[in-house]
Amino acid sequence: MGLFENISMALAGLRANKMRAFLTMLGIIIGIGSVIAISTLGSIMEASVMDIFNSQGGSNLMQFYVTMKSEPAREYYLDEDLITGEMIDAFEERFPDEVECVIINNGSTGGTMNIRHKEYDVTVYAVSPGYIRQSMTTVEAGRYISDRDCEELRYTCVISDKQAEKLFGSKRGAIGKRITVTLTGGDMIDLTVVGVYKYQISGIMSTMVGNIDDWNNEIYMPYTTMGRLQGADTDTFFQFNINTKTGTDAQKFAEKAENYFNDTFYRDNDSMQVRCFTAESQMAMIDEMLGILQLAISVIAGISLLVGGIGVMNIMLVSVTERTREIGVRKAMGAPNSAIRTQFIVESIIICLIGGAVGILTGIGMGNIAGLIVGTTAPPSLGSILLAVGFSMAIGIFFGYYPANRAAKLDPIEALRYE
Amino acid sequence: MMKKNKSKSTPVPTDAAEYVISARNIVKSFYVGTPNELEILHGMTFNVPRGEFVSIVGQSGSGKSTLMNIIGALDRPTSGEYFLDGVDVSKANDKELSQIRNKQIGFVFQTFNLIARTSALKNIELPMLYGGIPARERRERAKELLEIVEMSERAGHMPNELSGGQKQRIAIARAMANDPAIILADEPTGALDSKTGRLVMDLFHKLHREQGKTIVLITHNNELAEETDRIITISDGNIIGDTGNRRAGGDGSGTV
Repeated sequence: MGLFENISMALAGLRANKMRAFLTMLGIIIGIGSVIAISTLGSIMEASVMDIFNSQGGSNLMQFYVTMKSEPAREYYLDEDLITGEMIDAFEERFPDEVECVIINNGSTGGTMNIRHKEYDVTVYAVSPGYIRQSMTTVEAGRYISDRDCEELRYTCVISDKQAEKLFGSKRGAIGKRITVTLTGGDMIDLTVVGVYKYQISGIMSTMVGNIDDWNNEIYMPYTTMGRLQGADTDTFFQFNINTKTGTDAQKFAEKAENYFNDTFYRDNDSMQVRCFTAESQMAMIDEMLGILQLAISVIAGISLLVGGIGVMNIMLVSVTERTREIGVRKAMGAPNSAIRTQFIVESIIICLIGGAVGILTGIGMGNIAGLIVGTTAPPSLGSILLAVGFSMAIGIFFGYYPANRAAKLDPIEALRYE
Repeated sequence: MMKKNKSKSTPVPTDAAEYVISARNIVKSFYVGTPNELEILHGMTFNVPRGEFVSIVGQSGSGKSTLMNIIGALDRPTSGEYFLDGVDVSKANDKELSQIRNKQIGFVFQTFNLIARTSALKNIELPMLYGGIPARERRERAKELLEIVEMSERAGHMPNELSGGQKQRIAIARAMANDPAIILADEPTGALDSKTGRLVMDLFHKLHREQGKTIVLITHNNELAEETDRIITISDGNIIGDTGNRRAGGDGSGTV
């Protein structure tokens, strides 16, 4: 009795009861489908998170925040709690082998820009020279904001290639030109374009900000100049980032840097301290959250597979009962128990495999539809497909074995007599 | 009592080889070892020589079905010996029993028992399938058999597209598939009208005459039994009559 005969026999049986076969498969389809959808969605989300992660400087990024100590004397911030430029300078000097550059993004301000009597909305970012590393862009013409721009509080700015083309016809043509920006609040500033950056945006980011053209209005200027304009102390920060040099042990250095700040500058502060977060630890946190989410949904998928498997078992038991007489005839014709058992297990596996295949396709489809909403699609992972195929076969064998064994052990005389 | 013959019966009796069926002191009990123990067959002894068309006749409750199950290797006697074509069936295990059924016995049932949703040709192939015969050979043999039962033009038909008589002819072809030692027919005309039943009986006669098949016909119909070479009559689990072979001059008789 070959496998081929068993398979064609099983398919003939399923064809005879199409509705029943479909309903039985449904449980498997939903189970496998959700597993595949989740794993597809998982890799989509991971890819998106990696996008953001890389756009912020990748694994070399390290973030410093002022936070409360575990038992703070007060629960509000004072000016003297903030990190000062001198602290950052001292820090940079103390660890020349680890700090590649300091990145400051001291927030952004909305505004409008007047060009040829037309008004454009803009967002002006107050940044340090190092910020280019975090924004993952390249300078197409001219240069980025420089140290001297910051030190001398110059009115310089970097605009995007798209803006340059729109306003001045070409990237090169924009260099040295002046733009006038009216900031929210009424301040009007004149900025000299010193550089043009390449505008780029990736999947999930574009979804988050919506219309790409709307977002393409970022202008970068020295954070010190902006600080002066806003009348604030130009040189204090609630937060700053650094890029570490390649090869730095992020975890160890984070600890060292934290200790340095807290021992040197915050020893006498009764409420506040500086905490350092590595990109890795943040990535790990996100990974962990994704992992928990996936696990939770996998458990639900697992339960639905279990229910699906029980459905298969139930239908196989019905099928064995219905075909008791056929089993008797087959035995009378000389079918050994093993052949009967194989026949029913193959049938159960076929149900599960067809269900699994439909489930895989459904899952890939659903995962990618969800992915489209997020803005990224991912090819299904071969591993999860193989796993799903293997799993549906295992369900077929596991839940098919008992009914098949029952069929195999039927007494031929009783079976032949069965009405 | 049930195991008394076990040790001394191992060597095949000399006469067993000459007969297709050699039953010696067959006892069948149910619920063995319980207070409800029920003996259905009380020690039956008979031989069937090769090529004989024999009918076993008895009223319902006579033990006819139980005897048939033992002859058909669907069941083992509680005690006694049953040699089928020289092989001791009473000692066979389940797997060996299924092989014996496959190779040595061709069943024909009252209700045809064709496998549903399976073509006539595939039904005939079934015993060969379990016998491990290659697909092409199966197909050729099945076609041959379809010709013998004059059903060639129905090869692709499903059982539900066939009349009762046609189904029974397919079932007979199936019974012959592995060229078994005996064809065991259990009330083969019981579900057919008399005209169709006649055709089926004619087919058995033809197989007996032209192919020299050994046929065991189980029936309660004396008219049908009269057509056969020999009639064994059973009642209450005992053989109460055996005509011997009326055509060949008492060849299979006198063995009781």
